[in-house]
Amino acid sequence: MPKESSNPTSAGGRSNEPTVLILTSLASEPKHGYALLQDIENFAGVRLGPGTLYGAISRLEDRGLIEATGAAGRRRPYRITAAGSETLRAAIAEMRTIVDTGTERLGAMPAPGAALAGGAA
Amino acid sequence: MSAARTTARLLRAYPPAWRRRYGEELESLIAEASGGGRVSWRTRLDVLSGGARERIRSAGLEPGGSPADRLRASALLILCAWALSVLGGLVVGKSSEHWQDAVSSGSDSLASVAYAVLVGAACCGSAFVLGGLAAAAPSFVRFLRRGGWRRVHRPLGRAALLAAGLVAATAALSLWGGSLDSHQREGGDVAYAIAFVAWALWLVATIAALTGAAVAIANQVELPNRVLRVHAWLGAATAIAMATITAATIVWWVALADAAPWFFSGQRAAEGGSALSPQLFVAVAIMVVGTLLGGKGARRALGQLPALSIRARAEPR
Repeated sequence: MPKESSNPTSAGGRSNEPTVLILTSLASEPKHGYALLQDIENFAGVRLGPGTLYGAISRLEDRGLIEATGAAGRRRPYRITAAGSETLRAAIAEMRTIVDTGTERLGAMPAPGAALAGGAA
Repeated sequence: MSAARTTARLLRAYPPAWRRRYGEELESLIAEASGGGRVSWRTRLDVLSGGARERIRSAGLEPGGSPADRLRASALLILCAWALSVLGGLVVGKSSEHWQDAVSSGSDSLASVAYAVLVGAACCGSAFVLGGLAAAAPSFVRFLRRGGWRRVHRPLGRAALLAAGLVAATAALSLWGGSLDSHQREGGDVAYAIAFVAWALWLVATIAALTGAAVAIANQVELPNRVLRVHAWLGAATAIAMATITAATIVWWVALADAAPWFFSGQRAAEGGSALSPQLFVAVAIMVVGTLLGGKGARRALGQLPALSIRARAEPR
């Protein structure tokens, strides 16, 4: 069962966490809600619901990881803060460790197709 | 219904403060994501579950940052779970009235033991919850002395009004019920049946208001670590009591269904009847949800104890 990270600034560490997806999207430029949805769908293939997106936005804003820019309105853009960038770096490092370990372990194993081909020969 | 009206209704799922901050933006996003057309069921479910999560968060039931905040949120989750168990227990209490008359002596041993365990666990659970409130009482008094009353007077006043009204309604209903025979009390008198349903709804509202007031107060009052530790252990004991109540209710139901199934449909022994009582199904379902929430809260609360001790040692005295 996955557990919450003990690091209070952690964004979750999983690549499909809405908080990680939002921070990744905002790392390029400030965006409003709909632009965030479209960008996340483009780079991650994940379609977040509006409730999920704004739940994550409010948590990230409470933790000072993102901030609203400009005046209040129907299409208010958000940008990543310095703390948010640091958190995203930490989350990516966490994911990279998993990716590296998985790649290394899979490299030591024969691919399923290769094993079958070897048996047939 | 128009998309704008649907969206406005969906946004009511969120707490007012959250709506003031993000409501306009979320409304605009829902309209854009729906292409100005009908709001899909997937979006509706997503927004409703988001609203429920925000309400849980604003009530302080979601674990916060520090171990103390997490323990407090866990203890409050157990308190809400206990309120659900009380609700289920009241339905069981009403459904089980005079059940001993339905079974002949000697054939009711398992049902009797299960019922005794149920009542015993309910008494223990109540004592644990009252113990938790008593442990927090000195901090609450200090909070009131520092002018905290104005921050909690609304939920507390609402709960007190409902509780006072409930006491009066209970007294009036008891007097009325005393003047009726058992057939009239069991639904023969329509006016009395309607009054009873209204009283039951009032009872539910009072339990919800009292729990809400306790949660609102607990989120304002600063509790020392030793009180939080007491709450963790009492919460775990309450969760065990809830699990015992639920298990004992199921055993009692099964045992009585075997000995006197006709009891649950209000029939006589010779008339037969089914033991599948809808109100008991609802009561047990509520109790199971309460037990699961209580177990989750207890696990979380006990899990914070080591971190709480480490932080207490690390803090300067």
